Parts: sequence; structure tokens; C-alpha cells
Amino acid sequence: MLRTTLAGLLAHKLRLLLTSVAIALGVGFIAGTFVLTDTIEAGFSRSFSADADRVDVAVTPGDGGKGEERPTVSPAHLAKVRAVPGVAAAEGLVRGTAALVGKDGKTVGDLPTTGVSIHQGKLNRSTITSGTAPRTGQAVLDENTARIRGFAVGDTISVLDSARKTRSFALVGLFDVGVDQQLAYTGAVGFDPETAREMTGEKGFVELDVLAADGVAPDRLRDAVAAALGKGYEVRTGEQLAADLAAANGANSRLLTVGLLLFGLVAMLVAALVIYNTFTILVAQRAREMALLRCIGATKRQIFGSIVLESAVVGLISSALGLLVGLGLGAGALAVLDAMDVSLPTGTAALAPRTIVIGLVLGLLVTMAAALLPARTATRVAPIAALRTQVEEHTFRTGMVRAIFAGLFLLGGLGATVAGLVMDPGEVALLVVMGGGCLTFLAVVVLGPMIVRPLSAFAGWLPARLFGVPGRLAVANSRRNPKRAATTTIALTIGVTLMTLLSVLTGSIRMTYGSQLDEQFPVDFVLATQEGDSTMPHSIAAELRSRPELASVVQIRGAEARLGEDRVDAGAFEGPFDVTTVSGSMRGFTAGSVAMADRLAEERAVKPGDQVALTTPKGGTVALRLVAVYDGSASRIPPLLVPVPAFEEYFGEVGDAQIMVNVADGVAADRARVAVEAAGQAYPTVRLLSSTELRSEFDQAMDSQLMVLAGLLGLAILISLLGIANTLSLSVHERTRESALLRALGLTRPQLRRMLTVEALVLGLIGALVGVTLGVVFGWAAIQTMVADPLFDLPVQQVSSFVVLSGLAGVVAALLPARRAARASIVGSLASG
Amino acid sequence: MTLTEVRRAAPDAVVARGLTKVYGEGDAAVHALRGVDVTFATEAFTAIMGPSGSGKSTLMHCLAGLDTVSGGSVHIGDVELTGLGDKQLTMLRRERIGFVFQAFNLLPTLTAEQNIRLPLEIAGRQADQVLFDRVIDTVGLGDRLRHKPAELSGGQQQRVAVARALISKPQVIFADEPTGNLDSRSGAEVLAFLRTSVRELGQTIVMVTHDPLAASYADRVVFLHDGLLVSELSQPTPQSVLDTLLTLEA
Ligand SMILES: Nc1ncnc2c1ncn2[C@@H]1O[C@H](COP(=O)(O)OP(=O)(O)O)[C@@H](O)[C@H]1O
Ligand SMILES: [Mg+2]
Repeated sequence: MLRTTLAGLLAHKLRLLLTSVAIALGVGFIAGTFVLTDTIEAGFSRSFSADADRVDVAVTPGDGGKGEERPTVSPAHLAKVRAVPGVAAAEGLVRGTAALVGKDGKTVGDLPTTGVSIHQGKLNRSTITSGTAPRTGQAVLDENTARIRGFAVGDTISVLDSARKTRSFALVGLFDVGVDQQLAYTGAVGFDPETAREMTGEKGFVELDVLAADGVAPDRLRDAVAAALGKGYEVRTGEQLAADLAAANGANSRLLTVGLLLFGLVAMLVAALVIYNTFTILVAQRAREMALLRCIGATKRQIFGSIVLESAVVGLISSALGLLVGLGLGAGALAVLDAMDVSLPTGTAALAPRTIVIGLVLGLLVTMAAALLPARTATRVAPIAALRTQVEEHTFRTGMVRAIFAGLFLLGGLGATVAGLVMDPGEVALLVVMGGGCLTFLAVVVLGPMIVRPLSAFAGWLPARLFGVPGRLAVANSRRNPKRAATTTIALTIGVTLMTLLSVLTGSIRMTYGSQLDEQFPVDFVLATQEGDSTMPHSIAAELRSRPELASVVQIRGAEARLGEDRVDAGAFEGPFDVTTVSGSMRGFTAGSVAMADRLAEERAVKPGDQVALTTPKGGTVALRLVAVYDGSASRIPPLLVPVPAFEEYFGEVGDAQIMVNVADGVAADRARVAVEAAGQAYPTVRLLSSTELRSEFDQAMDSQLMVLAGLLGLAILISLLGIANTLSLSVHERTRESALLRALGLTRPQLRRMLTVEALVLGLIGALVGVTLGVVFGWAAIQTMVADPLFDLPVQQVSSFVVLSGLAGVVAALLPARRAARASIVGSLASG
Repeated sequence: MTLTEVRRAAPDAVVARGLTKVYGEGDAAVHALRGVDVTFATEAFTAIMGPSGSGKSTLMHCLAGLDTVSGGSVHIGDVELTGLGDKQLTMLRRERIGFVFQAFNLLPTLTAEQNIRLPLEIAGRQADQVLFDRVIDTVGLGDRLRHKPAELSGGQQQRVAVARALISKPQVIFADEPTGNLDSRSGAEVLAFLRTSVRELGQTIVMVTHDPLAASYADRVVFLHDGLLVSELSQPTPQSVLDTLLTLEA
């Protein structure tokens, strides 16, 4: 039996290949995920240990109390450490904000650059890649920032100190931030330790690095340092530090792994469907062969075994192939990340034993499981079938069981969806709706063979009219085996459903937030500082008010206060601003009163008329009357508002955190922009955002997210296309005689090709139509559970492009099978079968 | 000038001269046809007979333009087949040739009636309603026209195939063992139908068979042996065909 199976496989290399590619892509994606994250993780731990090698003992501050600022180690403690016997040298690392000013006079980047201390001698942990380490009056820049901002060694650079005064430094070198994600993200300026403290205004150190004297073991020194410092500090050897950093980083990359694996599993599911379908068709086609085997004495078990064995061989070969694909995908992703300047450690991609085992086992299991049902069908072939000549047509009758199952799934799915919709928006509701979506999808899978016929009539309506006889024959063919057509298209449906869901979600979220932006901020420009905690002088707002081009200017100030025990961001606004009240009224908003955002009021369980106790730096604890609760969903107003005079009384003189500007009617946007820019020109940290810029920033972020997700889903779609190609080529094989007959009756080669192409087109369209419907419905349901008062946006262009692309993809999938069919000689085909 | 008149003017529907067909090359070469000269008259029912492997199907395929010839020439009416490209051959088949095969004659997705109309649809021609009604009448399927082939008996399927071949008024119909898969009663019905088509509709039919009884329905029988035309009979009876076969075997 084994030999028969293997001989059969070898005789049909092509069908083996197509099936293999489907499973190999699925396994490849999963293996590639592991290769990628393994390589990144290994790279990180390598650079962590290389970094920590230069240090014998490291001291970091403990966790610190709740609500406190980032804890640091004080200079006094550095002195203590230096006094510990066995310490050869000790340095404190300074890290804090030191905003680099770009060539346009404005601070660079979305966030201010980070200032760090660079130490001379052995304890220097930064890699100076060109030039020298900085001394007094000098600075170094990280390579990336220097390149992007156009600075070179020898230039003079301006950096804002802690008082936001501009200071100049000679740029003497460039350094590499290694795998430090924070520095890579913000960009970094390096100073000598003294200057670094001055510039950042940081009084303490984020870390102390200690070098042991000759002959002192690191762990002994660690104990001695720990004893000298007492509680509240974490003292580790360099080795421990590296290990801890690597572990913390590992948790991050595991998140990435899980996320990617989800997409891998979708791909595997699609591959399983493709395999299931392929084996089903093969079993149907080889019914006579198997009946012959039964005639000459093979048992049902042997038949079953031979199919399962075939699937095992296919599964094993393709999983092995998949591992290679994974290696390539992983290496490719690394290369892409590298090219995109993502600061990740480089390393060679490699297959870990764990990856190999998971890939092989998963591929093997999925393939064999997908072949089980077809194998069981094969055992039902009666020996007498060997003697029948005409291949039976696969008529499909709706079974009771099928109808009941479909009904149950559908009821459950719709029930769960409705339940989720009724709930308050939130994670639970979303999960319930998604569960409902999965059940509904199952219902569609079960119903598939029943709905394929009407759907093919619908999807085939136009092609049948456009493509004449070949078109009509194709539409008839697409529905002749509903079960097969359903399985083939369901594979595509999965990908299209998820794509549509994503695009509806993205569109709706964009629209919802966009309208919130418009509603809450009917403003044209917002002025804000680069750093959240610094402010703008009131003179800017005064200057803006004097401009005839501008219609209204609203200043918003913010400061930290306490409400009972809890920290709260308090604020005040000045200028024509309409607060959207939910309850109460802003009319009584005078001294002694306060207004709150809805969320905060709910949290504190207070309503208009209640008294609240606000503790402020200058005003002490005051009892205030809550007069209004307002819609706080727009993030730009602070959650607690007091009138301006009261604010000044409580917090003293505080600059503006934001200034919102409206342009006067009839003033061109660029002229208004010049006016607003002029007002902020003198202040490097002040940045100007226009509402259209805000919108487009938000849109861009959403778009790039959608692109990445769509790219990841693309694989599932690619696999389902292999499924269509596979089904089609097996069908073509099955219908060799039919094609020959049509050719004899006068169908030309191009017409025969067109017939098969239209069939694939119709299959693709059916898959897409079902997918788009499910995706739109559940995208709509999902958005209802994600935000309150959502707007629904159907990105018609995107969604219809999915339908068109699916159809086209079907056409592409048909290329090879159609070519093969058209090339076959009529006489040869008539003789076969 | 009607089509019938054209056919009268051209006495022979199909003419083959020095036809040879070789499969394979070198040592493995099989000479299926070794110089066949044969003529099939218009409005006649001719049977091609011969033992299995004598080249009957090969001859039919070459005459119908389904396969290329190795040597010699074939004319369908005034058209020379040899040297035509695939596209021209396809058009020729559409317009001048009808087929009935031994099995798998019908598209399973179409009803009997749709199958019958298929050649016209492919050619983009209108059905001659008078002819259609007559054919339907002769085929004797009546209420079964809306059924799919799977719901028809073997004999009914073959009659549908003959009706389909008739509907486009081809210059010649080629039938390869049309009764090979049928029981004798169904076979007799199909053969009677073929003969009626010749007598009443003026159709030209060339039928390949190895059954003497089937051959006796024809007006004339030609005998193939080892790729050569060896004998022929006019107004055959089952007995005379059998006798001729026996002399050939000897
Ligand atoms: N495609 C082919 N390749 C090689 N030999 C063939 C092929 N088709 C037919 N033959 C050979 O040509 C000869 C005639 O075959 P055929 O025309 O099918 O005979 P018949 O129909 O009279 O039984 C036989 O010897 C057969 O083996
Ligand atoms: Mg034959």
C-alpha cells in the first residue's frame, strides 16, 4: 500500500506542488515570525551583554512611591559608592530633556531630544563612532539625528537648557545609541557629565556604573555597594543587569510574536481549507482507482490509510519547505526593518530547534487533519464503482443536519452580536460581538453549498451576458459542484472578510474622531509646546489677538492639583470657547466654582451642585461648588476647569499650555499661517499645528496601520488563490473530455480559456461578496462596541476594490489551468478518461 | 440557390486522397493509416468498418479535422483541410461538421434542449425553427427536453447527441461508434434515427462501427484493414457485412 501511495504521489507532482505551496506558505509565515523575533531577541541580549560588560556593578533607583516622578540616585549616594573599598571608579549616568534646536530655529522632532552624560575613560558606555567624546563646551549627537537634521562634526549646535534658554556647543563627535529605544526614538545629545546635569536640570542619576578594582569579584563588590547604600536601590552585577534587560525586552518581543502568530494562524486555517478541498477532489477523481484497489482485495482501512499517508508525506515535505520559506521571510523582514532605519540589533536569521519542531508538527497535523474527512469518504467507495463508466455528477441536497447546524450557528452568532451591541461599549462587548462574528462565519461555512447557487447566479449575471457562450457555460460550471465551490470560495472569504472589517473599522474610527475633532475644536490652528510640561508666555496670545487676520484666540492653561488624595490636571481657559455641557450650566462659572469633564465627574460620583475639595500649591485646600459637567472626550481641555482669576490665585503665574486660533472669514489659509507663525517665531519649543495637519497626521497613522495589517492578511488571500488555482486545475483535469467535446463542437481555444477564466472570476466574486458582506456587518457591529456615539463609514472605494481585486485574482489563478486546458489536443482528450 | 442545390452540385461531401497517419517516431512509429483514398457521397449514410486497431477512429479524426494528417489531402466540400490552422479548423467544424461520439457526448450542466442548441450558440447562429421542430419531433424526446443528461437513458443521450449534430445543418456528420455503449434496442433506435436523418433531412453521415448489424443500416460500407481501405459494399445486410469481415480476417 505504501508503495502504491508513493507511486501515485510521484505520478502527480503538480497537484502535489500546489497543495504543498499552500501549506508551506502557512508554515513559512509562522516560522518566519519565530525567526524574526528570535533574531531580534538574540541581537538585543547580545548588545545588552556587550554593553553591560563594561560595568562590574550597576546601581539603579528602586521603584519609588506612587505618583512620584521618575526616581533617581542622588550625587550624595554616588559619593558613598565611590568611598566603598574595592571600587576603582564610579560614574552617574545623567539623562533628561535637552532639546536640540534645528536649523530652522525650532526644536527638532515630535519630542525633545534627550540629553545624556558621556563619560571619559573605562566607564564610557557609549560608542563614539566619529570625532571625540565631549568636554566642557562641546557636545556629541547620535548619528541618526545628525544625519536627519543635517549636522556634521565641526558645526555649532544649539540646545535648550532646563530653563529653555538656547546654548551653543561645538559638535565634536557622533555616537551610536545602540539598542536604547528611548534614545533612538527621541534622538540624543551627549555632554560631559557636569554639562549634562546643567542642561537637563536633573539633580540625580538614572544609574550608577561602578568599576571594580583589580582582583575584586563583581558579586562581592555588589554586596558591599548594596550594604553602603541601604534600602531603596537595586544593585546588580553587569551580568545580572544584561540578563534583566534582555528579559524585559523579551516580554516586548513576545507581544509581537503573538500578534504575528495570529495572522499566521489565519493563514494556516485558509491553507487547511485548501488542503481539505484538494483531497476531497482527489478522492472523487480517483474513486475508480480506489474501487479497483478494493476489487483486488484492499480493505477500507488500507484505503483510508493510503490517503492519510499521502497527506502525511505532503504535510512533511511542505512543512520542511515552509521552514525554508520562513527563514527567507524572517531574513527579508529583518532586511526591510534595517532599510527602514528601525534601530534593531542586526544578526543572521536562523531556525531555532523550537521553530523547526513547531513548523513541522503544525504543518503535518494541519495537513493530516484536513485530509481525514476526505479519507473517510474514500472508504465509502464501493468496489463496483470500478465498473461504472460515466462519472457521477455531484448533486447536492440540503441535509436536515446541515440545516439544523447552520440554523444553530446563525442564531447563536446573531444573538451574540445583538447582545454585544446592547452592552455598553467596551472590551467585553467587542469580544462578544467578535464571538458572534465567528459563529456567523461558521453558519456561512455550513450554509456555503446552499448559497453558492444563488450567489453564482448573482455574481455571474454580468459575466454571462458579457462573455457569450463561454460566459454562460462558465457560470453553469461554477455551480455544478456546490460543495467544492463553497470550500474554494470560503478560503478567499476569510481574507476578504478580515480586510473589509479592518477597512470599515479604520474608516469609521477616522470619521468618528475626525468629527469629534471638528466638533470640539472648530479651530484652524493650535499652538502648543513640544514638551507637555513647558508653557508659552501670555505675550504670544496677546500678539495673536492683535492680528486682524485672526478671528478668535483661546488660551488654555494647565497645572497639577489634588482632588482629595488623587492627582488631577486642572486648567483654565480664556477667550471665546464653548464648553459642551452635559449637565449643569457654565453660567454660574465664577469664583468658588468648578467644572468637570463627564468621565472625571463619574469617577468621583459627583453632580452639579455638589462640593468638591481641591488642593492647590498656592491656594491650599478649597471647597468648590461643581456647576457644570462637560463632554471631555476631546483630549485638549483639561478634565477640571476653574475660572482664570481663581486659577492664578491657586497656581500663580502659569503660561499657556495651548492656544487655539480661528482665522477670520475670507483670510487665505497661508496668509493666516504666516501671521500665527510670526507670533511663535521667537520661541523654539512652540510648534504650530493646523487642524488639517492634525487630521492628516491622524489619517496617516491610521493608513499605515491598515497597510501593515492588510499586508499581513495578504498571505491568507494568496493562499486562498492557490486554492482557486488548485480547484480549477483539478476540475479542468476532471473535465478533459468535456473540453474536447466543446472544442470539437467549434469552441475556439481563446473561448475555452475564457470559459475557465470566467469560472474563476465568478468563484472569486462569490468569495468577495460574502466576505464584504460579513466584513461590513461586523465592522459596523464592532465599531458600535468600541466607542460611544460612533459614526459609520463604509470606505466604498476600498471595499469595492477588494471585490474587483478578488475577481482579478481569480482570473490570475485561472491563467495556468486555462492554458493547459486550451493546449490539450482534442483527439488525445477524447480518448482519455 | 438553396443549400440542397449546392450539395447536389457537389456530389461528394468528403474526399480523402493518399491519406497517411503515423503516430510516434523511429522504432516506436505506428502507421495507423497507410494511404487511404476514399470518397463519401452527399446525402448518403456511409459506415466505416474494420477490426479493432485497423485505423477507423484515426481516419475519422483526420477527416473531421480533429487531428493533423501525416500525408495526403482531405476535402470537406470545396475546402482543403490539410494546412489549415487551429482557428480555421475550429470555424470549419462549427459550420460544416457535426459529431456524435461513443460516450460523454453531452455537457452535464446543460439540459437536453440546451445541449441541442449549443453548436448554434457557439457559432452565434439562429436556429432554423422549422428544422428545430422537425429534429425535436424525430428525436422523440418530447417532455424530456428540459432534463439534464444524467436523468436520461444512454439511448436518449445518444439521440440528443444526434439531434445536436443535425441542428446546425452540417455538410457532414461524423459518428464514432455511436451505439457502442448501448443495448441493442436503444442502439436500433439511434441507428434508425440516423437513417431517417439521411432519408428525410438529406443529411450526410459517416459512421464508424465494428458492429455488422449497425453497419447494415448504412447505404454503403467501406472496410479498413491495417490502415488501408480494402473493400466496400453497397446496400449492405448484416449477413453480407459479416461475410466480408470474415474474408478479411482470413
Ligand atoms: N495517439 C496515438 N498514439 C500512438 N498510436 C496510436 C494513437 N492512436 C491510435 N494509435 C494506434 O493507431 C492504430 C489505429 O488506431 P485506431 O484508429 O484507434 O483504431 P480503431 O479505431 O480502428 O480501433 C492502432 O494501432 C493504435 O494503437
Ligand atoms: Mg476506435
